[in-house]
Amino acid sequence: MGEGVSGGWANKDSGRERYAVAGDGMLPLETTVARPSGRYEERMETEKGQLSQKAVAVRELRKTVAVGFRRRKVEILRGTSFAVNEGDVFGMLGPNGAGKTTALKIILGLMRPDAGAIDLGVARAAVGYLPENPYFYDYLSGRELLQFCGRLFGLPERVRRERAARLLAQVGLEEAADRQLRRYSKGMLQRIGIAQALINDPHLVFLDEPMTGLDPLGRVEVKRIIQGLREQGRTVLFNSHILADVEELCTRVAIMRAGTVVWEGAVAEAKPPDGGNLEDFFIAAVSA
Amino acid sequence: MNRMAAVALNTFKETIRDRVLLVIVVFALAMIVAALWLASISLGETARMMQDFGLVAVTAFGVIVAVFVAGTLVRKEVEKRTVFVVFSKPVRRGEFITGKFLGLSLTMAVVLAGMGAFLFLLTWLVAGVSSWVLLAATGLVYLQVLVVIAVTIFFSTFSSALLASVLGICVFAAGQLSHNVLSLSRLGDSALLKGLSWVIYLLIPNFSAVDIKPGVVGEATAAWDDIALWSGYLAAYAMVALVIATLVFNRREF
Repeated sequence: MGEGVSGGWANKDSGRERYAVAGDGMLPLETTVARPSGRYEERMETEKGQLSQKAVAVRELRKTVAVGFRRRKVEILRGTSFAVNEGDVFGMLGPNGAGKTTALKIILGLMRPDAGAIDLGVARAAVGYLPENPYFYDYLSGRELLQFCGRLFGLPERVRRERAARLLAQVGLEEAADRQLRRYSKGMLQRIGIAQALINDPHLVFLDEPMTGLDPLGRVEVKRIIQGLREQGRTVLFNSHILADVEELCTRVAIMRAGTVVWEGAVAEAKPPDGGNLEDFFIAAVSA
Repeated sequence: MNRMAAVALNTFKETIRDRVLLVIVVFALAMIVAALWLASISLGETARMMQDFGLVAVTAFGVIVAVFVAGTLVRKEVEKRTVFVVFSKPVRRGEFITGKFLGLSLTMAVVLAGMGAFLFLLTWLVAGVSSWVLLAATGLVYLQVLVVIAVTIFFSTFSSALLASVLGICVFAAGQLSHNVLSLSRLGDSALLKGLSWVIYLLIPNFSAVDIKPGVVGEATAAWDDIALWSGYLAAYAMVALVIATLVFNRREF
């Protein structure tokens, strides 16, 4: 499995999406049934049990991009592998440029991997995503943004209205709901971003730096939302540089460095043998 | 369909709430008044001149607004990274491109309807002529604008917003002259030249075929069948441009 495997498939009955890529294959948008090939049968047999409990399984992802005027090649992901169990609050840690956001974008289908395989435990319609430093249509009001996102998921009007109202209350933006987003502060944008990530009532939520730009009260609020999602049995994957939050919220973490995962495991185990906290462990892992 | 409608509605809100658009439209209305004033002081045939001058102003501003907005539509979403929000949801690239096109088409329908009605009203008030051909001509300008929007969106999927807009204007200008290409081919005997002229003729949207001058009303009526045929061709042209735009946009990563 991994590099060099081509083709893709999805299993409609289980609502799972799986894809293996080499070259320029694109992630499927919706769960569609591909004609099972010999490879498919073989993989289902060998991996069925192994993958069924995973919300996300990423294997040997590779991605090289060309940057700058001279189109210099930079290898961002060098065989990234990790797995998120259903119900996990999974923290992706790593210094800037480690490849966390790229890995997320590939999982979400915003970028194509050069090689590797992704197994998404749910259909795309059950995924929520908050981008890093989110920017939204500033001519819309908060409520209109949520309505727009709800429409993209094909939610009926009544459901959109109810959920928008509930989420606006949940992120503390009821009073600003009908104000244009151009008048929102950075923290308010972050909060409306979280609300739009939850409009489809997702089973799997990706949050890219959800604490950025928030004041201490806002951070507490976001932490409360993530804890709420965990209690509801949702799977959350988030990137953060704030290790104290990761330690508090996450069940499992993966530490990335230079395009590979150097450590993955339960957050309780992410401690140096000679004592210390997650921060000490993280520094040791990324500077090894 | 629902997702495409959502993108279209959002694009309509984006463009109709754009203050720059409002300023340009007010300016365009002022230019129409100026054109009409120029026509009204011309000697004789005031009504004819007013309609032709006014229609030129409506066309020019319609196309300028359309290309400059269309050039930024997709680029802005990519640069401001709102595409992350859209494409992390189950939205296809084709739905996005078509939605953008439909949204701006709706805005331009409002803009051109406004300008057309304004022109109609003024010619009626000043020259006492209520020309229905003028309204039909405005409709055909709208058709040309739709093609220009589709072509500009196509250019914007791989070039900068400004370049896409400039190329959009170039296509519009070329479309006005496309019949000259055929005239050119008749000058020589070369089969190659003739073939090449036909290829260029088909590649450039033939706007001159749907360009009616309400001022010479009556003479245009004989060509309505042709106009209907060419309108179908232009609609197909816009659709092909959107399909190619989608194919190019499918390759994009964010």
